[in-house]
Amino acid sequence: MTTILPMFLNAMTLVSILMLVGLGLAVIYGLMGVINMSHGDFITIGAFSLALIQSFGGSFWLALLLAPLIGALIGFLIERSIIQFLYKRPLATIMATWGLSLIMQQSLQLIFGAAPQRVYSPITTSVEVLGVNYPAYRLVMIAMAIAIMVAAYLFIRKTRFGLDMRTVIQNPEMADALGIDTKRVFAIAFSIGAGLAAAAGVLLAPLTVVIAQMGINYLARSFFVVIVGGAGSVPGVVAGSAFVGGTETLLNYAIPATLAQALVLVLAIIVVRFRPSGLVPG
Amino acid sequence: MSQIPSDTGSSTRSRSRVLVSLSLLFLLAMYIAPLYVGVYSASLFRDAMLFGLMALGLDYLWGKTGVLSFGHATFFGAGAYGAAIISTQFGMDPSYGAWLGLLGGILFSCLIAFIVGYFLIFGGVRGSYFTIVTLALGVISVHVVLTFSEYTGGDAGLLGVPPLSFPTVDGFRPLSQLGQYWFVMTTVCAVTCGMWWLCSGRYGALLKSIEDNEQRAQALGHNTSLHLLIVFVGSAVIAALGGALYASSVGVVATDSVNLILSTQAIIFVAIGGRGTLFGPVLATVCVIWLEQEVSSINVQLWPLFMGLLFILAVFVFPDGVLKRAEALFSMIRPVSGPGGRA
Repeated sequence: MTTILPMFLNAMTLVSILMLVGLGLAVIYGLMGVINMSHGDFITIGAFSLALIQSFGGSFWLALLLAPLIGALIGFLIERSIIQFLYKRPLATIMATWGLSLIMQQSLQLIFGAAPQRVYSPITTSVEVLGVNYPAYRLVMIAMAIAIMVAAYLFIRKTRFGLDMRTVIQNPEMADALGIDTKRVFAIAFSIGAGLAAAAGVLLAPLTVVIAQMGINYLARSFFVVIVGGAGSVPGVVAGSAFVGGTETLLNYAIPATLAQALVLVLAIIVVRFRPSGLVPG
Repeated sequence: MSQIPSDTGSSTRSRSRVLVSLSLLFLLAMYIAPLYVGVYSASLFRDAMLFGLMALGLDYLWGKTGVLSFGHATFFGAGAYGAAIISTQFGMDPSYGAWLGLLGGILFSCLIAFIVGYFLIFGGVRGSYFTIVTLALGVISVHVVLTFSEYTGGDAGLLGVPPLSFPTVDGFRPLSQLGQYWFVMTTVCAVTCGMWWLCSGRYGALLKSIEDNEQRAQALGHNTSLHLLIVFVGSAVIAALGGALYASSVGVVATDSVNLILSTQAIIFVAIGGRGTLFGPVLATVCVIWLEQEVSSINVQLWPLFMGLLFILAVFVFPDGVLKRAEALFSMIRPVSGPGGRA
């Protein structure tokens, strides 16, 4: 138990981060079909928001509240200014969002400098779980991630906007004819996706090095979370992140970290090849 | 545009004539460049031409069949690392070690492309899925290079890759800087012209039909998966040729010849040069790398911003390449009589 439990909790740490990032992408890519190459940079935006708010003396919890709003606002502006014109051109979307990603990364580096940003964890104690000492912050983070997932699921399933969104995704023309403002739905959905990634960035920041390029590490992985899980459902995201995060953490115990990341992607490619509609087909 | 076939036909012809004559002019300038700017400055053009081969490879895939690879630096890097490892790690005589490296690098890349391509293309992976999988391929190859640092040199890279040798009166001699430059120029031109010739006839039309509607091409009796696999492997071989020649002419291979930045730069080269024009991407590569030098000499930090901007411009301002956009603007300010004026 003393060896398996930390392993399980470490896996859960990565899984919960991937779950949040993946959920954001599941809305943008899985539901709207937009291949957003700048998705990883919204993680960076979240982490940098935390650094900025903490440098002004704000608390971690304030940042966790504000950063998703900042991410969503930037996402909204990007959707309105660029992405809304490209819904019919998937390859053009890939290129434009990759360009945006380069611009966002480099702007952050120009403004804040190349050195890692200082962020502080709100909880530095560790607690005993079944006889194992484990950092309390990670446990809180896992709990927060699960709470956000549940909230997102209820939001999509139970609210008026969630219903509108599902309608638009199933058939944009019909939704339009029924009087749903599809443009508005797309813009809000994109903002929500961006905001979720920013929230993941805040939660992730105390555990990692906060630099302008930090998001790129999560880009390929988050796409596979969505694809492996099955495009665009909340249970799919859970399955996908459990697969990617779980395998990677386990492999990390046996082989070097870089090879583990490579191997997980290879496995993910194999899964996509044999189960193109994912582990949990929608 | 499609209502009057003869119109579009002659417009395309005149466009390709403009492109070919531009290329020839450019080529002449490139050949004599070292005599004016010196061999050292000309090595920038040499490297750019080799990256141009990667762009050509990507254009063969993306421009001709519409399949976008987001990890084409994998094949450039496989060629470069293959050549470097074979020619430096086995204690071979550099006179033939360099050639074996070149061959080995290309074969290595070919093998990767065949395995990956067979697995994906025959598995029905197309469109955006293919792009995302190749993005992962690019990430994987960087991780692999970093993991096996005893062979690849890890972050530091591999040094001392020997230049190619040719027989002279007193035995095998490595190429001089100038000789290398002209050898690279000639190779790149030969490959580009070869690809243009290959794709100009029936074969080009076949690839176009696969891009437009794969199912219909299938129904007409073409084994589209096989064709796509051949194109994928071919494009990897061209990129690997560029990579292997890059290793032997620069003498150093590091992770910047395999990383994601290079993969995406290849996309920009093709997009700016004009997708599917083959000559265009090679020209664009040289121009963009020259621009990169100029911008970076002002401030190194500025270039990624420029790259990002180029991507967005490529989508909104010149979706068919800079030349076509310039041509369209040109015909707007100057009323053209006769065919081709409506382009």
